[in-house]
Amino acid sequence: MIWRYRIAFLGILFLFFLVVVRLFYWQVVKAQELSLIAQDQYGTTLKLTPERGEIRTSDNFPLATNKLSYLVFANPKEIKNAGETSALLSSVLGVDLSSVSADLSLDKFWVPVKSGVDSDTKQKLEAMNLAGIGFDSEYQRFYPEASMAAQLLGFVGKDDQGNDKGYFGLEGYYDRLLQGKAGTAVQINDAFGRPILAQANQATGEVDGSNLILSIDRSIQFLAEQKIKDGVQLYGATSGMVGIMDPKTGQILAMAAYPNFDPRDYSDYTDDLYKNPFISDLYEPGSTFKPLIMSSALDAKVVTPQTKCDICDKPVSVSGYDIHTWDDKYFPNTNMIDVIQHSDNTGMVFVAQKMGLDKTLDYLGKFGIGNTTGIDLQGEVSATLRPKNQWYAVDLATTAFGQGISVTPVELLDATAAIANDGVEMEPHVVSAIEDPDGNIVKIPPKTISTPIDSGTAKAMTEIMVNAVEKGEASWARLKGYRIAGKTGTASIPIQGHYDPTQTIASFVGFAPAENPKFVMLVILNRPTTSIYGSETAAPIFFDIAKSLLGYYGIPPDENN
Amino acid sequence: MKKPALIISSLIILVLVLSVVKIFISNQVATSGVILGKIEEEAANLKTENILLSEKLYTKSALTSIDSEAEKMGFVTPKTEFVLSGQMPVAFKQ
Repeated sequence: MIWRYRIAFLGILFLFFLVVVRLFYWQVVKAQELSLIAQDQYGTTLKLTPERGEIRTSDNFPLATNKLSYLVFANPKEIKNAGETSALLSSVLGVDLSSVSADLSLDKFWVPVKSGVDSDTKQKLEAMNLAGIGFDSEYQRFYPEASMAAQLLGFVGKDDQGNDKGYFGLEGYYDRLLQGKAGTAVQINDAFGRPILAQANQATGEVDGSNLILSIDRSIQFLAEQKIKDGVQLYGATSGMVGIMDPKTGQILAMAAYPNFDPRDYSDYTDDLYKNPFISDLYEPGSTFKPLIMSSALDAKVVTPQTKCDICDKPVSVSGYDIHTWDDKYFPNTNMIDVIQHSDNTGMVFVAQKMGLDKTLDYLGKFGIGNTTGIDLQGEVSATLRPKNQWYAVDLATTAFGQGISVTPVELLDATAAIANDGVEMEPHVVSAIEDPDGNIVKIPPKTISTPIDSGTAKAMTEIMVNAVEKGEASWARLKGYRIAGKTGTASIPIQGHYDPTQTIASFVGFAPAENPKFVMLVILNRPTTSIYGSETAAPIFFDIAKSLLGYYGIPPDENN
Repeated sequence: MKKPALIISSLIILVLVLSVVKIFISNQVATSGVILGKIEEEAANLKTENILLSEKLYTKSALTSIDSEAEKMGFVTPKTEFVLSGQMPVAFKQ
């Protein structure tokens, strides 16, 4: 009988073994899968994508905001007539038929067909009642003013993980602030999949992006973009740019470049158009640099406006190089007012030699030359000034008239703004306030960088620049009835170690009204072909914009001027 | 001896009443999920509509759009400048 007990015992043991094996299968091998199914029955976990912050102009109009778009997806297993569905999707979405057919023939439950589909197209597809076709809503960057201020804004692309990321300009500089923080939400459902109120919507962690409120004036930006585009075309230049700033606060009122790109379709443009040339391009400023050197010399009291230049009667020889005036006309015993009026290179060499290298470098540093300005845009560069022991006599001489030294346009604009602002240089800024998702607004106060020259020197330099506008080469284009301080620039372009006399960067920098400036503006044309001179190309654009701006600010002309 | 019995019986009654109330409220709340779903759906629809209307408003009020519309309607850039130097009153006192 014992063997029967043993068989029964072994049988029961075997059954226990089978139960243990089965338990192991369900609780260990299939544990993760079952857990996911249970979670799916219990509720759904959603990733909450925060809404990216808006970028608004000073009148609260969004230059960059968000619009709803849709991802059209398909479940190929639910589609009955793949050929017909492919043809319909292809015609409505404007996608290649072979591409849609290939997607719908995949052995998958979910395939994306097209993203960025607008609501009208979505409604058309919904009306067709296509089986196996669904939609996911998503936010897409929307630019109501199209390509306005494109290089100032930058654009939103994708990072390595496929998440939105800002590149260049404001989108790049303020990316963290704009993008906010993603969160998750859990929705608990009953057996029929309906939401249960008791523990519904456990949303955590999601914070929408903050909005940026710019100092950019939309009307001025629009005007600047139109004028620089027209100017580039009229004067046959390869490109052009204009920057307008409030010298008292450092707030940028407009910054435009042409050609530019459309941030909606940024991938259709070449990479070189993405960067903002006003902060990223280094160039030799030419004569627009002269006011900085002259005001430094006046401030250091090495010259006065009436000081006579005793080397201005002929070309000046420095270390074996002959330095000429731009038109080879010479003015013996000319004073400092006339040196700026005639844009006299020999006169500026005289000033630089009076100053000496130490004082020149000291003042250039005070004006912020050789450093970034700190503007709140991604991509600002600067050319560091050479160490003192690497400067030769000819370098000092050429720097005096803006050759052999490189600056960015924003560097020159900001330094000139110091002359307009009683000698006080402000940090240029594009964002004037930040609005958090709760609607709280934090204003960004103006920041003083330095005081390179005193108030008296700034006033004297302003008068010299007003004289240059009224009697200099660009006087034909000046606005009658207004006192405008300014200076033309025609800079040669260094190409393979030499200056090409036929290719120039033409520019004009100035501010108005001279006694109480509302704006300082720099206009630059790259390689104009109708004329190489700033006085014949950049200056008329400057005065054209200035005329509209003065009217915009309600400043009437004075018949005494 | 009466007092503890009274307390105990009161507690039991309280527990029973609270249990019934909890069951009743849970029952009410649990079925409100459907209403909640509808409200959330409506809120989402209104938000979507708001976004779509904002998009249209921004597009229509963009300077680039106004400029091109104005050009189509025959507006031209003024050749002479007219400057309003100060705020004019709506009416003068006589």
